[in-house]
Amino acid sequence: MEMEKVRLRQNVLLNHLKPVTFPKASTDLVATVCAAGDSAAYERTGVFGDDVVIVAAYRTPICKAKRGGFKDTFPEDLLAPVLKAVIDKTGVSPNEVGDIVVGTVLAPGSQRASECRMAAFYAGFPETVPVRTVNRQCSSGLQAVADVVAAIKAGFYDIGIGAGLESMTVNPMAWEGSVNPRVETQKQAQDCLLPMGITSENVAERYGVSRQEQDKAAVESHRKAAAATAAGKFKDEIIPVETKLVDPKTGDEKPVTISVDDGFRPNASLSDLAKLRPVFKKDGSTTAGNSSQVSDGAGAVLLMKRSLAMQKGLPILGVFRSFVAVGVDPAVMGVGPAFAIPAAAKAAGLEVGDIDLFEINEAFASQYTYCSQKLELDPEKVNVNGGAMAIGHPLGATGARCVATLLHEMKRRGKDCRFGVISMCIGTGMGAAAVLERGDSADPLCNARPIKDNSLLSKDAK
Amino acid sequence: MPVFRTAFNGYAVKFSPFVETRLAVATAQNFGIIGNGRQHVLELTPNGIVEYCAFDTADGLYDCTWSESNENLVVSASGDGSVKIWDLARPPAANPIGSLEEHAREVYSIDWNAVRKDSFLSGSWDDTIRLWTIDRPQSMRVFREHTYCVYAAVWNPRHADVFASASGDCTARVWDVREPNSTIIIPAHDHEILSCDWNKYNDCMLVTGSVDKLIKVWDVRTYRTPVTVLQGHTYAIRRVKFSPHQESLIASCSYDMTMCMWDYKAPEDALLERYDHHTEFAVGMDMSVLVEGLLASTGWDETVYVWQFGMDPRAL
Repeated sequence: MEMEKVRLRQNVLLNHLKPVTFPKASTDLVATVCAAGDSAAYERTGVFGDDVVIVAAYRTPICKAKRGGFKDTFPEDLLAPVLKAVIDKTGVSPNEVGDIVVGTVLAPGSQRASECRMAAFYAGFPETVPVRTVNRQCSSGLQAVADVVAAIKAGFYDIGIGAGLESMTVNPMAWEGSVNPRVETQKQAQDCLLPMGITSENVAERYGVSRQEQDKAAVESHRKAAAATAAGKFKDEIIPVETKLVDPKTGDEKPVTISVDDGFRPNASLSDLAKLRPVFKKDGSTTAGNSSQVSDGAGAVLLMKRSLAMQKGLPILGVFRSFVAVGVDPAVMGVGPAFAIPAAAKAAGLEVGDIDLFEINEAFASQYTYCSQKLELDPEKVNVNGGAMAIGHPLGATGARCVATLLHEMKRRGKDCRFGVISMCIGTGMGAAAVLERGDSADPLCNARPIKDNSLLSKDAK
Repeated sequence: MPVFRTAFNGYAVKFSPFVETRLAVATAQNFGIIGNGRQHVLELTPNGIVEYCAFDTADGLYDCTWSESNENLVVSASGDGSVKIWDLARPPAANPIGSLEEHAREVYSIDWNAVRKDSFLSGSWDDTIRLWTIDRPQSMRVFREHTYCVYAAVWNPRHADVFASASGDCTARVWDVREPNSTIIIPAHDHEILSCDWNKYNDCMLVTGSVDKLIKVWDVRTYRTPVTVLQGHTYAIRRVKFSPHQESLIASCSYDMTMCMWDYKAPEDALLERYDHHTEFAVGMDMSVLVEGLLASTGWDETVYVWQFGMDPRAL
């Protein structure tokens, strides 16, 4: 009895001295998914098989309309070589392609769509591969790529080609037919008719971009394009086109192979540009020198899901992360990128500060300068190989050719250059932007390899 | 600062509410496991601490308290389940003047009601708390809800009918003697709660000390989360007490042999003092109501120290 009591007392006291383990999860702290809208995507290190990736992106040289290398080339003869190139260089079988979407702006719709179908045949695609066109003015090439991404994600098909085509030699900018008097009832509708140059003047005036700033931007564009061409940087992305040049006087045809852009002027200087007179408005600041060139060209991008690319053993050039189209005031359509770029970055889970490289279409130096300054972009990261003022702006092709230029430049720059943005302003008051990521930024999760033999396992495993 | 050496291991020390130089010390032989007990009443003199008188018991004593109505009455909690009442005015032969024997197991806590001054509580390892008045040999109420040892039962300094209890079932409960059941059940710790005390300046604030080495301060109105958690002891907390002079001052003593003073309102620097004068478990302590800053502590090293806050207990 006595010992029982002793034992009990000892037990009570000993229990006070037992080591204490605290429960793992405190009810005061709750783990939830972080709702921060900041660069969550930056930390992403996993890859997902259903990312849509770019396995090939090529373009033709961009040549001056009416006077340049493609002045005597049929539009479908611009598109066919790039379509063929994305197939030949990757070894993908053409009958695996689920759709070809071509961005193209100025040509009559049905005719251009037929021309694109013909181009697919010329490129060796079988009749089973369909073709369509898309038109969102200057962003059509980028929109075509985005449409293919969306269709692949929607499961409409597994492999698609987003392309762009424009021959401004064959189809100059023009308005066919009469104008509905109704436009006078609403300013924004009326502003859709403004010549692009007038919108450039509006931007220069409203946001205070001086003639000198514009000319400086143009000089830079030419300098960078010339340097890039001289360094052979465009060799990876340009597909030489075998075509002909017709002497306008004699009518003689000369077969040529065009393999370089012919729009840029290596020796462009501020003084040369200062001599040019404003084209669109008296006492204005927009000249032919600080506007994009009117050009001919095409580009094509081959896209598929990452899982399929890995299955086929294709190197992944880039990953399509996000696309955004926004609307702005038609009178200052040039500000489009200033709105579209932050929206596209946010859609990709990033901030503008996370983007390492930009391709902003230089429709006009006024809008390009304004957008770069508004977004406080590092000039070292924007249009590093020149832009549309030097290279040219074949309207429908620009978006697709920027994909090729951007991804190849990111590849050259190394792993540090992880995210890139393509953006352009759009006539009638819109802007579009897309975020692309390097193809090899994230390591594939699996480093397992199939075992060849069971020698390391025990006999029971067999 | 004076030291008193007790014959047995110290378990509790309480300053007299009437005489500022007097304190009661409850002790038990063999660390309270087996053997006798002794209730000391000590006097602080300029020559050190001297024994005023002492009473021997058959079993160890775990707690003691002074009467708030009679300066000569001391009540002890005994390991044999009895509550002993001592009268210092009577000769030792006449003592104890009462022995209340109702608890089935060790009585671990005894506390006199400072508001009504006529009743006292005993908390026992038989899971019950009993309410007694000095004139009756039977308990007035039995509070039976805890599912393990009750280690402490403490009256609220403002409300005559409210008290709190701390138990080995890991809950602290607030009771009202007018109600049949406990009013608030606070699952204060994940381990046994060895002590609790009320804030003398905020009648809704409670402090609990536990085997998990944490001291938690609670507002009984929002008892889901503690107001603050004080960490610092490296073994179980044996006793916690709010200061009778400063609203946010808490004293604690622990099996890590130290006694600590805390300011629970200071977020970073809650630990104000650490007294490591004991060489065994520090088990009993008190803060004098009559002399601000006067502290006393006792432990299993058979010593009783009395010193002023801020001074070294071992200094002479």
